Amino acid sequence: MLSENEVKILEYLKKVREDTAENISKQLNIPLDTVFSVSQLLKEKGYISIEEKKIIKYELTEEGKERLQKGLPEEILIDILDGKEAKIQDIRNKLGKDFEIAIGWGKRKGLIKIEKDTLIPLVKHYEAKEEKEALLNPENASNEILQELLYRKLLIKREEKIFQLKLIKGEVEIRPIITFLTPELLASGEWRKYILREYNVEAYPPFYPIGRKHFFREFLERLKDVMRELGFKEYYSDYIEIEFYNFDLLFQAQDHPAREIHDSFSISGEGKLLDEKLVEKIKEMHENGWKYKWDKKIATRLVLRSQTTATTARILASKPTPPLRAFTIGKVFRPDSIDATHLIEFHQLDGLVVEDSFTFRDLLGTLKEIFNRIGIKELKFKPAYFPFTEPSVEVYGKIEGLGWVEMCGAGLLRPEILKAVEVNSSAGAWGIGIDRLAMLLFGLKDIRLLYSNDVEYLRSKKVDINAYD
Amino acid sequence: MPTINVYKWRLLNELKINESTLEDLLFNLKSEMKPIDQDHIEIEINNDRPDLLFVYGIIRSIKGLLKEELGEAKYPVKRSEYLFEVREVKSRPYALAAIIEGIKLDEELLKELIQFQEKLHITIGRKRKKVAIGIHDLKKIDIKKIVYTTVNLNYKFVPLNSTKEMTVKEILENTEEGKEYGNISLFNGKMPAIMQDDGQILSLPPVINSEKTRVDTSTTDLFLDVTGTSLDSVISTLDILVTNLAEMGGKIAEVKVISTYTDKSPILRRNKIDVSVEYINKVLGTQLQKENIIEYLKMARFDVNDFGNKLEVIIPPYRVDILGAIDLAEEVAMTIGYSNLSPATYKIETLGSLSDKSKITRVIRDLSIGASFTEIFTFVLTNDSLLNEEYAKIINPITVDYNAVRNSLIPTMLQFLSKNQHSRMPIRVFEVGEVVVKSEDSETGYRNKLNVIYAIMDSKVSFEDLQSPVHHILTSLGINIKYKKEKNFYLIEGRTAGIYSKDEMIGIIGEVKPEILEKTKIKYPVIISEIYLDEIKKLL
Repeated sequence: MLSENEVKILEYLKKVREDTAENISKQLNIPLDTVFSVSQLLKEKGYISIEEKKIIKYELTEEGKERLQKGLPEEILIDILDGKEAKIQDIRNKLGKDFEIAIGWGKRKGLIKIEKDTLIPLVKHYEAKEEKEALLNPENASNEILQELLYRKLLIKREEKIFQLKLIKGEVEIRPIITFLTPELLASGEWRKYILREYNVEAYPPFYPIGRKHFFREFLERLKDVMRELGFKEYYSDYIEIEFYNFDLLFQAQDHPAREIHDSFSISGEGKLLDEKLVEKIKEMHENGWKYKWDKKIATRLVLRSQTTATTARILASKPTPPLRAFTIGKVFRPDSIDATHLIEFHQLDGLVVEDSFTFRDLLGTLKEIFNRIGIKELKFKPAYFPFTEPSVEVYGKIEGLGWVEMCGAGLLRPEILKAVEVNSSAGAWGIGIDRLAMLLFGLKDIRLLYSNDVEYLRSKKVDINAYD
Repeated sequence: MPTINVYKWRLLNELKINESTLEDLLFNLKSEMKPIDQDHIEIEINNDRPDLLFVYGIIRSIKGLLKEELGEAKYPVKRSEYLFEVREVKSRPYALAAIIEGIKLDEELLKELIQFQEKLHITIGRKRKKVAIGIHDLKKIDIKKIVYTTVNLNYKFVPLNSTKEMTVKEILENTEEGKEYGNISLFNGKMPAIMQDDGQILSLPPVINSEKTRVDTSTTDLFLDVTGTSLDSVISTLDILVTNLAEMGGKIAEVKVISTYTDKSPILRRNKIDVSVEYINKVLGTQLQKENIIEYLKMARFDVNDFGNKLEVIIPPYRVDILGAIDLAEEVAMTIGYSNLSPATYKIETLGSLSDKSKITRVIRDLSIGASFTEIFTFVLTNDSLLNEEYAKIINPITVDYNAVRNSLIPTMLQFLSKNQHSRMPIRVFEVGEVVVKSEDSETGYRNKLNVIYAIMDSKVSFEDLQSPVHHILTSLGINIKYKKEKNFYLIEGRTAGIYSKDEMIGIIGEVKPEILEKTKIKYPVIISEIYLDEIKKLL
C-alpha cells in the first residue's frame, strides 16, 4: 500500500530510473525531508535502492570571489608595470597590502625579477587563465591548480553526502489509495484504479450499544414457558385490588394481624363489590369460621395487592369448572425496609389446580415438577399454616452453598372457600416468591440488582447459555 | 410468626430426646428452632397454634408424636368456692376466670409464663383488643367473690411494678401500658376493672394488673382472668391457658360465674368432628387403613370414637385451629410426616397457554431488541413529583421515593436515564411495563395498562433517530400509522407527535422538555416514545 508521495516519487523514477534526493525534491516540489522519509519507506518495501555517496565540493571564499572579479594580485602587478621597470617603493605604494602576494606569485610564476630596488617585468601581459577557470569550475580543475587555490585560500573544500535513488523493481503498478468503496466506483468499474487503504484490523473497535434482553425479564418469561409446558393457562389481574380479593375471599379474618395497615400499601378511595351473592357467602364463611362480625366496608378498601393469590381469588370468584390449571406471574407490593434481600415490590408465581380428585400428594407432585424444571432438584416439604389452605405446606429448596431456602407456600384450598365460590371439586394452590429465587439462581449478592438502574451493568452482564435451563 | 424463648433443658429432659430430634419434631409441628445461648432456644410457632406458645404445649404435642402419650391429655377439674360476677361492661363485654392450684415456678418458668401471656395477647388477643389476660397470685386475693365491672377515672389502686396508689387516669396517662393500651376499652369515661367484691382492684383490663396480686416464684396458686370483645376468643384463650398450666402439673379449679352466657368457668369446650377413612385418603391421596388413621389422630392427641364407617374425633379445648374434617386430614399428614408422603407423578393433561399480554410483550421485546434497544426493568412504584394527571397515591408509603404508582413509563424512564449520565453514549433503552390509570368501570376505580417505552439519550439526538425504529416496529405488526402534532406534559411542543392508527392514539413520541431534563438532572437531550400496548392488542 503506497501513500500519495510514495506514488509520486515512484512515477518520477519510472521515467528517469535514478536521481538524487535533492533533485527529486526540486522536481516534484516535495520538501527534502519528506523525500528522505518516503524514500526510506520505498526502500523498505523493495521498490528502490538508495546509494549514499560522499562528494567533495569546492566553494569560493570571499577573497576568491573578489580576486575573480578584480583579478589576481600578480595580474594587477604586470598590468601596472606595463613592460617597464619600476622602483619597488612606487609599486608598493600602488598595490598596498596585495604587494607581497603580487611579488611572491610574480617571482614564482617567472613574471618578474628584482634587482636592488628595481622591479623588472619579464612579460608584457599576463592573465591567470587556469586559476580563474578553476575558480569558476573547481570540479573540472587540475589537482595542481586546486592545491594552489586552496593554498591561497581562494577556495575552500567541503565534503558532502548525496543520496542517489534508483528504481529496482522492474515493473511497478502504481495506483492511488482510497478509504471507501462507493457505489459509483463499483458501477463505473473505476474501483480498479484504486487501492483500498489498509485498516488497523488488530485494534479494538469503538463502543456499540447492542440490543439486549433484560436477564430477569427473560427469567420471568422462561417461568411462563415452564408453566405453559406443564399445561397451565396464564391469567392476570390488576395491581390495585379491593381487600375482598386480596384477603376476604382467601379466608383471612378482617382483624387478622396480617391485614394491619403496615402489612400492605393502602390506596385512597373505595372499591365496589358487584357480586352480592358472593359477598353474602364470603360473609357467612367468615362469621361461621372466625366468629366475628364481617364488615363489607373493610372488604372494599383499596390496597396494592400483597400476593398474586389475589389473582387466584379472582379466578375462583369466576366459579371455574374443573378441570382447570391456571397460573399467574406478577408484581406484588409489601411495605418493608429496602435492603440487599428485601424489596417493596417483587414477583410471585401463583398456581391453581381445580380437579375432581386432586389430592395433597398430587399437589406435592405438581410442586416437585415445577421446581425440578426451574432447576431446584432437592426439596423438603414442611407443614405450614395459611388461612385459605389445608393441608398447608411450605416448600424448601436446596441451593448450592446456601442450604435449605424457603421458596413456596402451598396447600389444598379450604372447603369453606370452595363452597363459597360454588366450586364442587378439589383444588390446590401455591405461591412462589420469584425475586429471591432469581437472586439465588443468578448468584447475586443484592436483590436490587434485579432492577439495576445502571445501564453499564445491563450491558456488561454475562449472558450464560445455561441460565434458563 | 410469633417466636418464644425457651429454657432448652426443661424441654429435652422432660421429653428425653436430643436437640436434633427436637428440631425434626418441631419441623413437623410447623415450627423451627434456633439456638440463643447454651441454655436457651428460640422457637418459631405458627399463627394457628397458640397452644404451642408455652413450653408445656410443645411437650404435650411431642409426647404424642413420640407415642409416649396418645389421645387427648385429660386434666381433672375440681370445684372451687370462688364466684366471678360479670356485670355490664359495654366496651369489653366478656370475661371468664379460672383457678390453677399447686404449681411450682422457678425464674425461667415465671419468665416463660409471662411470655406466654404476652404472645397470646399479640396473636389470639390481637394486641389485647380482642382478648386480654390477667394472671394473679390466688393467695393474695382476700375475698372469694370477684367482680368484672367498670370504674371511673378517679378510682385508685396500686398498679403492677409501682409502690404508690394511682388514679386510673394517672395510670392511663403516665404508665407505659396505659399509654399503649389505655384507649382500647376506655368508654364514656369508664374503664373495665376486675375487683374484689370489697372494691380492691385486681386488674384493669386490657392495661395492667395490680401490684397486690403480683405473681412470683413463691406463687403456687393462680387466679386467671380473661376479658375481651369476642366470647369465642375469651373461651379459647382461657382454655389454652388452663390446659397448658395443667400440663405443667397444676390442678384446674372451676369458678362459679354470674353472667348472661355461662354459669361456670373455664368452659373447656370440646367439639366433635366426624371424619371418614375415605375422606382422609381422598384428600391426601393415600391408602391408609382405619387403624392407622386412628393411631395417627391419637398421636396428634385427639380422642377418636370408632363408629364403623365414620370416626368421631373429639377436639381438645386448646386446639382452636381445628375447624373441620379437612384440618384433621392435615393432622394425619403431619403425623405421618410430609417427607413420608411421596409426591405423585405429575401428568400433563391439557395444553397450556399464555395470556395476550404475555404474547404481545414477547413480540414487542423481540422487535425492540432487533432495533438495538437494551431492555431495562424499573419499579412500578415511584415518587409522585414527576407524575402528571391522575394516579394512585399510596396512603402509607415507606419512603417518599415510592409514594405513588406510576401512570406512565416516562417518569421511571427519566429516572433511569438520570442515573446514567456517565455511561457510554448513546443510550438506547426500552421497557415493557405496566402502569396504573384511573378507570371508572373497574371495581377498584383503577386498572393496569401495558405500555412500552423507548428512549435515546446522546450528546446529539434527532426526532427521527427514534421515530424510525419505532415506526418500523409498529409497521412490522401490520399497523398503519399517522403522526399528528401533539402537546404533552413531558415533551417539547413542536417536537411531539401523537402516533395514530385510524383515529385511535396508540402512542406518543417527542423530545423531552429542557425543564424536565433539568428537574431530573439529565445533561443530554432525550427522545422518548411511549406506546400503549392494550390499544395495539385491539388492532391485531
